[in-house]
Formats: sequence, structure tokens, C-alpha cells
Amino acid sequence: MTTDALAAAPAGLVRPRRAPRARAAAGWETGVGHALMVLLSLVCVFPVYWMIVTSLRPENAIFSNALWPDAASLENYAYALSAIPMGAMLVNTFVVATAVTAIQLLTGILAGYAFSRWRFPGAGALMAAVALTWLVPLQVVMIPNYLLVANLGLIDTLGALILPHVASAFAILLLAQAMRSFPREVIEAARMDGASHAHVLWQVVLPNLRGTLASLAILIFISTWNEYFWPLLLSRRPENSVVQIGLQMFVTAEGTAWGPLMAASTLASLPILAIYLVLQRQVISSFMKSGLR
Amino acid sequence: MPISLTRRAALRLSAAGALALGAAPAFAQTAAIPATVTEPVEITFYNYNLSSAGNGAEATKKMIAEFEAAHPNIKVTGVPVAPQSLMTRIQADLVAGQPVDLSQMGFMGIDFAVQNLGAVALEDIIPAEELDAHFDGMVPNGLELGRLDGKTWGLAYTFSTPVLFYNADLFRAAGLDPDQPPATWAEVKSAGLKIREKTDALPLATGIFGPSAVDWLMQGILRSNGGMTIDESRTKMIFAEPASVEAVEMLRDLADEGIMENLDVTSQLEGMAAGATAMYLQTSAIQGHLIRGAEGNYELRAAPMPAFGDKPVRPNNSGSSLMIHAQDPVKQRAAWELMKFLTSKRGYTIVTSEIGYLPLRPEILDDPEFLGEWVKDHPLIEPNMAQLSKLEPWVPMPGPNYLQIITTTMDAMEQATFGSDDDVAGILADAQARAQRLIP
Amino acid sequence: MTDAALPTAGPSGPRRAAPRRRGLSPSRRLYRAARPYLYLAPALVCFAVWIYEPLAQAFWLSFQQWNLLPTSPRTWVGWDNYRNILDLPQFWQALDNTWLYLLGLLPLAVALPLAVAIFTQDLPPRARNLYRALIFVPLIVPPVVAAAVWRWLLDPRYGVVNGWLEGLGLEPVRFLADPDWALWTITFITGWKLMGFATLILSAANASIDPSLIEAARLDGASRWRIVRDVRLPLLSPTILLLVMMVILLGAQWSFAYIHVLTEGGPLGATTNIYYLLWEFGFATLSVGWSSASAVILFLGFGVLAALIFRLKEKVSFHDD
Repeated sequence: MTTDALAAAPAGLVRPRRAPRARAAAGWETGVGHALMVLLSLVCVFPVYWMIVTSLRPENAIFSNALWPDAASLENYAYALSAIPMGAMLVNTFVVATAVTAIQLLTGILAGYAFSRWRFPGAGALMAAVALTWLVPLQVVMIPNYLLVANLGLIDTLGALILPHVASAFAILLLAQAMRSFPREVIEAARMDGASHAHVLWQVVLPNLRGTLASLAILIFISTWNEYFWPLLLSRRPENSVVQIGLQMFVTAEGTAWGPLMAASTLASLPILAIYLVLQRQVISSFMKSGLR
Repeated sequence: MPISLTRRAALRLSAAGALALGAAPAFAQTAAIPATVTEPVEITFYNYNLSSAGNGAEATKKMIAEFEAAHPNIKVTGVPVAPQSLMTRIQADLVAGQPVDLSQMGFMGIDFAVQNLGAVALEDIIPAEELDAHFDGMVPNGLELGRLDGKTWGLAYTFSTPVLFYNADLFRAAGLDPDQPPATWAEVKSAGLKIREKTDALPLATGIFGPSAVDWLMQGILRSNGGMTIDESRTKMIFAEPASVEAVEMLRDLADEGIMENLDVTSQLEGMAAGATAMYLQTSAIQGHLIRGAEGNYELRAAPMPAFGDKPVRPNNSGSSLMIHAQDPVKQRAAWELMKFLTSKRGYTIVTSEIGYLPLRPEILDDPEFLGEWVKDHPLIEPNMAQLSKLEPWVPMPGPNYLQIITTTMDAMEQATFGSDDDVAGILADAQARAQRLIP
Repeated sequence: MTDAALPTAGPSGPRRAAPRRRGLSPSRRLYRAARPYLYLAPALVCFAVWIYEPLAQAFWLSFQQWNLLPTSPRTWVGWDNYRNILDLPQFWQALDNTWLYLLGLLPLAVALPLAVAIFTQDLPPRARNLYRALIFVPLIVPPVVAAAVWRWLLDPRYGVVNGWLEGLGLEPVRFLADPDWALWTITFITGWKLMGFATLILSAANASIDPSLIEAARLDGASRWRIVRDVRLPLLSPTILLLVMMVILLGAQWSFAYIHVLTEGGPLGATTNIYYLLWEFGFATLSVGWSSASAVILFLGFGVLAALIFRLKEKVSFHDD
């Protein structure tokens, strides 16, 4: 499909107005749509609400059905904060998640650009090699990676949590495909004006992929934040560990301390929610917003 | 039963013989260690109580601090590891060249630890008199638990026995007398039927099945009926033999009558804690959790594991032992000193009152200096202690495929108990053949 | 290596061959040829070191019985490890279940988020952001905690959901203990957790569709549905297919946490899948032979599937360029 309309309309400066006719016709559809969305939203939110409510209940009322606890208290929070070094763990987790997000975006952008812009021998095979990394579960590579980390002297450091995650197949494939969908004419125009590939990548393509980059950043951040098995293998002292290890400390062989666990996990969820709220603003109609140069 | 000195000597001789036959693992150590620690030394202690937030970690840290105060030359670095990843972690660290000196090892893993993780037998490094002096006062059954092929590889540390917890309120609601808990499986069945009829609670939950349960409760059940999973020499699987089949058929009967359901381990625990289950057969280690859930909700009581008619109950333990992995003699001495402290009267006082496991030195329960007062407020420990003299070792499976042998066995048991095919003998026979192939 | 499409007649007239293409020095040509590989290098080195090298090692180890300790013996056992795994009675059940998981996840993890992304695109910003944020909420909760909460909600005796069912006059459902329900329950929970992820990706992709294309179609008189069908879906197809591929390749791994916490593969293998089974027998212990053989089986099995999907994706995808 050509993009003649692109040449005709000054890019991005005029937001198309919704045709009133289309809106009226969709009246009842929208009604049903809203009803379903509300139902879906409730299904999504209710369990999380339950987590918060349980964190406010005392230990002998954990399994009660009341929608709001009779005797809501913050004692689980107090206990959770005293039982594990929550502050240090949150900081560690934040550092690791931010570092991994930044690095994976970088390697993903570079690799994605290569796959989308150039044809070169072995491109197909390399792309397959990237996708196939999904098929290698952590447990398979855990021990050799642990040995490597030990040999590099990185045991008990945050570097060990960051280094194996320098690249991600998801980031690469998503960015490759987003860049592939980028209008070629725009890039051609820039190249003809003498732009180098680096300029094209950083000044032309990326500013218009803000939505994809933001959503990718959110998802990488969350996936790193919730990572458990690898940090578990590496954890030696709780103060140097990440928050998931802290949460797991409430799950003991003598029974799980549900109240404090729910409290700790509510606290651990808040930073992610904050990151989402900040970054999701980028995921709006961002098509060609910033113009061509 | 007490082990006489001559018997112990005989065990040592046979162990020496086994050594000569090359049955010992590659790490056999025969040099004695220094009598005391004269220079500063640091040892690592891989411990799973440290990995739990709460009492377990606090109590362990307290004991380590007390020990370090009494032994200024020894520094103990606790390495918290979750129990299910302990073996993986020790193995990974050994491969990576990290120092592993002392570990809190689950009994299931003793064989693997001896064969693969460089465990050191106490008899090989500690003078006999010192060992005997320390063992004196410990429950002989307890000591036996950490012994394999005649040597003490693990010194029993935390352990618990299977207990039948029950909800006295639900009993009363079903017309049963909570002061007369079921003592045999037949009584469990009749109580269960009444509970199913009169209440909508789950009559019986157990910790028998599920990957995390491995085979520890099942061993006790089979043994109580005269059967077992593996034979004495640990070379032949025998769980498809009549006595074992009969025990599993009893379980199947309970399931068919709706007294037992095939729920996952955590659901069964939480159902009991919530007061929705009438009887729960599980390790006494979860007692604290149940007590907290019961508070203000229902009356929690405990009884010993049920028997098969007149046959004696033969439960086995769950828990952990302390094992030395260090190869350096000075570290071995330091590790042994820590072991002695943790399993001393003082150590067990803390372990029992603060973490919730059984004291392997029963005398402290009568001694006001230790637990004499505490035991008055914690009556639920009585059924546990009564079973102490009946405890038998949890037999570990041999070879590198030990876990797969257990999984094969228990999957078949679960299938035979809850599955639609009621040919218990056939299912077990098939699994026995498959498990046998995995034995080295 | 080519740099761009064939010359076309663009807005500025017939394209001149870019002057810098003539007279390239050999070193410059070498740089040009190496450039894609240089861009790919950081990612490829990372994968080679942290994933492929251990995988190759696993392949080698799968024919042996060894626990990685230098002092322990290594025995060559040939195909024994593979045979042991394929002999497991649950193997075929696990394989069957895996298909069911994947089929069950596709509606929840692709179709539903797609509908949500498209529906919310045209709403006023407040409603749109609110809905999307609410759909996103499940992602912020750690998987272990999500599993625990769902277990409480679905418990047949004290759970809220069964309380409502009973209020409506229905029988309580044993969501996790009934073999007929358990697998779908776990699939639902896995999908519930994933919805926000797919919605976010699809929203981003949807947002980068040129609005003038939509406008053009609308001016041509197309109904809303036809716009979706003829404009949005084709343009979203690369993303949709990427998600489908991820569900198929990763679905079994994604459901692992919930199976492990909620049912441990039961009741009687009703909820196990190939990844969980291999975890139970292979990865849970360090019997390296089992775990390596498991890894190889997983990799080759899904690898074949991945190759097929990849081929399909390239054929069916539509790129707006």
C-alpha cells in the first residue's frame, strides 16, 4: 500500500477528526464494548485488590472472604520491613532492572536495525539463532553461567545479575519488526540528503518508535524485576540480593507467612506500577510526531 | 534402642572394611584434626533456616553469634539457601571453587552428598572419645538417622516427625470425641466418614503426595505395615510387594470414600490452617503455622501417626543433619566445634523453642535451666516426643538418579491411590520395574 | 549487501545514484560488508557466551552421567538419558497437555489483547489510559504471589469465586483439583497474567499506524469493522505473528510458575506439560545427564516448530514500506 497520503498531509501536524457518522453508528457497539472492558478490567484488578486486602489482615484471618478486613492493620507491613532488608533490596532491584533495560534496548536497537535495514549473508540464520534462544530454559545454562560468573569474580555482585542479560531475543525481534515497518521513503530521503546510518537510526527512526521503545522498556523492566531463579542461585547475603529473593524468604519449610508476603509484594509492585504510569504516555498515537528531520 | 560401645566399635570395623573394598567415595579422610583452633579461621555454613524470614533465621543468627562469642578465633559466614535448592547450590559452589565447609543437609540427600559433595564422616576425623562424649544424651534413634553404611556422615540437627493434627471443633460437630483421636487407619476412616456426613470440611489431608513431599511420609506408612520402598541393602525396590500394596490399597480406599482428596501440598496445609480440614497428617515442623492460623478460630490438637491395626507404627523423620564438607583439618575442627554447639543442650533449647523442631536431647525438657518451663506452655510437643523412640531413618535412594527413582515411585503411588484404574498391585509392579532400572 | 530498495520515482523526481557509492576504497568496502555484523555483535556475543556455549556443553553432557565436579567420575551412557525420558509414562500426556496449553493461551494472550488494543485506541484519552492501566495491573504482581492469590480465590471451600457460584445456585467447582478443569484454570491464570503484556505491545504497534491511512479508508466510506479488517489487521500482522510465535515457543515455560505453585503437575499429571515434566525429572536435580538430555529434547522439538512458524511468519506478514 502506498503512502501517497503521507506526501499530501503535512506529517503529524493535523490529527484526523473523527467522522461523526462513524461515531453514531458505533453507538451500541461501543456500549457492549465498554461493558466487556469493564468486566475484563475487574477480572484483572480483583486478584491484585485481594493481595492488598490480605496484606491488611491478621494471620488467623488470612483466608476470610470479607471484601474488606474487619480489623485492617499495617502490622504485616511493619513485620515485612523488619524481617527482610526491603530498602536495600528495592534499591538493588531497581539498579539491576534499569541497567538491564538500558543495555537490552541498546543491543536490541543495534541488532534490530541490522536485521531490518540490510541484507547480508547469514541474516536468516542469525535471526533464527536469536529466536531460538527462547528455547533454552535457564536451568540448562544455570551452572555453566554460574561457573563463568565465579571465574570472573562477580559472585555476590549486581554485575552477575546484569551481565547474562545484555541482549534479549524479544527486544531484538520486536525492534527489527518495528523498524521494518518504518516507511522506507523517509529513510531514503534522509539518506539522499547525506545522512549516515547512525544518523538515520538515532535521529530519524528511533524518535518515531517511541511507543515501541517505551513499551519494550516497561516489559524488560518488569521481566527483570520479577526474575527469580538466577538471582536465587547467586544470592549470598540478603542485603545484596533482589526483592524477589526477599519475598521468597516468607515462603518457608514451616509454612508461608502470607500476611507479610502480601505486604512485601504490594511494596514490591509499586515501583513497577510507577514505571508503567510514567512510560505509558509514550504509547499513544506517536506516528511521525516529531517530523522528518 | 541404645547402641553399646562394642556395637559401635563393630560398626567402625565394618566401615573400615567397606573402605578397603573401595566402597567409600573419593574424599575419604583419615587424618585426625587439631584438638583446638589456635589460629583465626573462617568457615561457611550453608543453612536453610537462614533463608526464611522470621524465627528460623533469627534463631540461627543468634546461635551463630553466641558461638562466635565463645570462640573468638572462628568466624562463621552463614550462606542462606532455600531448602529445595540446597543441593544444587552446594554442588554449583563446589564446582565453582567456592568454599563449602558445613551444611544443613536434608536427610534425603545424605547419600548423594556422601558420593558427590565431599562429605566427611565424623568417625574419620574426630577422636572416638570426643564423639562418644558428645553423643551421650542424644536420642540414639536420632544419631542413627545421619548414619549411612555404619558411619556418621550427618549429625541430626533439626528434625520433626509425622503428626496427625486435628481440629477439635470439627470433631465435636461430627459427634466425635476430641479426647480420643484415631489411633489406627481404620479409626481414621470411620472418623472421616462421620466428618464427611455431618460437616462440609475435608476429612483428611496429608503431606504424602506431591513432588515436594518426595517419599518421606510414604516410607513411614509402608514400613508401618511391614513393607518399604527399597530393601535393606538399598539395591532392590520392593514397593510392589504385598505388604506395601496393602498399605497403598488402604489409602486408595480412603480416597474412594471421599475422605482424602488429591490436592496439592500447599492447599492441604492452608485448608487445615483455615479450619476447613478435620485431620492433617504432616510434619510437626508446620505446627507453628497451624497454631497461628488456629488462634481465635478453632482448637488445634495433635496425635501420633496412625497405625495399621496392631502393628507398631514405624514413622521416619524429616529434617536436616549437619554435614562437614571442608577438607582442610583446621576448618574441619572449626566446623565440628560449631556442630557441637548447635547440637548441645543450649543449641537444642533455641532450636526447639524458637524454630519449632524437636530436641534431640530429651533431658532438656525436664531441666528448668533449659526447656523445663517452656514445655508447660507447649503441650503439642508431647505426641512428637513420644514418637521419638520409634523413629527410623529416612532411607535415601542410591546413585545419581535418586530423585528420579523417588519421583517414579511416588507418581505411581499417587496414580494407584487416586487414579481411575484400581489395579494397585499392577500399577506398582510396573513402576517398580522402571525404578529398578534407575538403580546403579 | 544492499543498502536500500531499487530506485523508485519518489517525490523529488528520478533518483540519482548517490555519488558516494563510486570509488570506494577496499577498507571502506570491508567496513561496509562488516557493518551489519558489527551492529549485531554485542547481542550475538552475549548469546554465544551465555546461551549457546552452555547449550553445546549440555548437548555433549547429555550422553554422559556426570555431576560436573572435577573429582567425580564421568561415565559415557550413550542414549540412556534420552531413553529414560521417553520412557516416562507421563511423557506423552505432558506433550498432549502442552498443545492444550498453547491452544488455550492464544485467545487470551493474542486475540483478546488485540481486541482490547483496537477498541481502546479510539476512546477518549482518559478512558483509554484507564482501561489499559487496569489491564496492565496483573503484570506488576510477582508470579508466585499471583498464583497464591488465585488459589485462595478459587478454593472450593473458602474461595470467593465458589462463594459467588453457590450464591447463583451452582455447585462449587474444584478448579485446581478436578482433572477436567485444572489445566484450563492454569491456562486462564497464565493468560490473565500475560494479557497486559500483549495489550501493551499491540497498542504500541497500533499507535504507529499512519492515521492518514485510516482517514483515507474512512473517507472512502468503510465501516469501522472493515477498517479494522483491511487496514489495521494487515499492518498489525507482523506484531500479531510475533506474539503467536512467542506463545507457541514460550507458553509452556510461562505456565511453569503457576503449575509449580498450584498443582505441581497434578492431579495425576492433568496439568503437567513438557517443560514442567522435564523440570521435574531433569532440571530439579543436578543429575546433569537427565537435565542435558531434557534440554536437547526441548530445544530440538520446539526448534522444529519455531522454524515452521518463522517460515509462515515471513510469508504472511505485511510490512508497510
